[in-house]
Amino acid sequence: MKLRSAKKPSRLSASLPAFFLISPVHALIISMIFAPVMYVAWLSLTKSSFGQAPVFVGFENYVKVLSDPYFWRSLRNTVVVVLIVVHLELLIGLGIALLFASGVPFRPFMLAAVLAPYAVSEISAVVMWRYLFDHDVGFATQFLAFLGLPDLEWSVNPTHGLILVALLSIWLHLPFTFVILYAARLAIPKDLYEAAGVDGASPFQQFKRITLPLLMPAMLIAMLFRYIFAFRLFSEIWLMTGGGPARQTEVLAVYLYLEAFRYNAFGEAAATGWLLVVASLILAMWYLRRLYKEMFATYA
Amino acid sequence: MRKTVRKFLKGFAIFLVLSWSLIPIMLIALSSLKADRDIFAAPPRLFFEPTLSNYTGLWTRWSDFFDGLLNSVIITTGATLLAVLTSAMAGYAYSRFRHPALAGSAFFLIFIRLIPPIVITLPLFPVANALRLNDTHILLIVLYATFFVSLGTLVMRTFIDQIPRELDEAAHMDGATRLQILRKVILPLSAQGMVAVAVFVVVYAWNEFLFAFIFTTTNAKTAPLVISEMFGAVEGVEWGVLFAASTLQLLPVLLFVILAQKHLVAGLTAGATKG
Repeated sequence: MKLRSAKKPSRLSASLPAFFLISPVHALIISMIFAPVMYVAWLSLTKSSFGQAPVFVGFENYVKVLSDPYFWRSLRNTVVVVLIVVHLELLIGLGIALLFASGVPFRPFMLAAVLAPYAVSEISAVVMWRYLFDHDVGFATQFLAFLGLPDLEWSVNPTHGLILVALLSIWLHLPFTFVILYAARLAIPKDLYEAAGVDGASPFQQFKRITLPLLMPAMLIAMLFRYIFAFRLFSEIWLMTGGGPARQTEVLAVYLYLEAFRYNAFGEAAATGWLLVVASLILAMWYLRRLYKEMFATYA
Repeated sequence: MRKTVRKFLKGFAIFLVLSWSLIPIMLIALSSLKADRDIFAAPPRLFFEPTLSNYTGLWTRWSDFFDGLLNSVIITTGATLLAVLTSAMAGYAYSRFRHPALAGSAFFLIFIRLIPPIVITLPLFPVANALRLNDTHILLIVLYATFFVSLGTLVMRTFIDQIPRELDEAAHMDGATRLQILRKVILPLSAQGMVAVAVFVVVYAWNEFLFAFIFTTTNAKTAPLVISEMFGAVEGVEWGVLFAASTLQLLPVLLFVILAQKHLVAGLTAGATKG
């Protein structure tokens, strides 16, 4: 007992340099993210607008937001786009990762090509895809016509607008999903496939019994990260459709922005923001629990 | 027979992958060299007489854009230096020290990544206004760095974990302080990790739209924001000039990503799988 209490302060002082070293990172995060988010929680319980002193109103803002049909439409749009984008991305990313793993010619060039969209800004991507799908001269429009398919009328038809935004999002974020899956695929030992080949397993059996189960952890991680990041979707919608026509293509982040900066309803915007935070946390619950255990196993 | 079919299918798959990734980029890069009549030709023209008129038009009519590029350079450089430096310090601490409080703070770092950036604009906008920080470089530098220090710290920890502890101990025996060990032993050996973190921050800060849109109006406007203004211009979009601006904004960071692709891949895998 005596020994332990004597040991404790020395352990703390031995760790002092560590606290000094991590302080800049934490100062940034606490001042720019954590404190503001806590303030948003308070703001969501008050009635205020820019330049006015807030008044406490309880859950009134949440009631208002949750009874606003535009909120529900933006929630529905967000969920639909996220589900489509993330799952198609995983599927295409997996396909390309397996294609690369089976050997491709000019590998460094191919890799650079697949990673290229990672470097593109949202605004440039919107310029590209709007021009591609331009009603009169767009490359993709003409290609669709050549195949006998109808044109994407993204500026007048909200569904088409969302499809175009989904395509653009997949294009922008595929490099991320691909890299995670490709790295995981390369980490699978070759002997497994050799052994399976000796046992006479067909390529499909090998895929089902070796590749897929061993890739599963990486796929879950990629999926989770993409869920969380896709959920924040703002710029693509804002720059492509502006949420229109008639507020029909709004997503949650766009709804929040408009509430705060156009309709001056800071309380409602804060309530929406806090709902966004809670939704992200629920989505990541499983990951957070695992991480929590891992962190304390490493450091404590 | 089956082998040729498989070979053909694979070739076709490669063709599809390349078209999907590269056509949108090539399209604006090529179109930026087209005169208006070629941009609006249907069907699109693959062969045309290249002209620099869009670039000269950009220079004379949208000199704003070049100020935007300069702002982007300043902000990207600042954010990258700030994020890499602070992440390297924290990554070293998380790699070499053990304490329950470190576990809590490491969890906090990752937990914070889950918060959507748009949420914090609500309180920051009035605060930044009151402190006269709106429309300044420093606000964007700090914001951009902050949103990447979590990932940066994780990546740095993973890289520093690979440096043998015996090196620290040897330096310690020779009487080096913690800071000297960090500066003279760890940092030079974790250069790869720092490049990986830099790639993330450079790409993010160079391309970011949301914060630039909310927090800048004239002085600190970044290139993506100016492009979006050209795009939303009332008197109709000038596609040619827009393509020229997009190409200029894209090329440097595209080159950077291609040159640093090895580090990008290493950083992404370290950041995603190790926490």
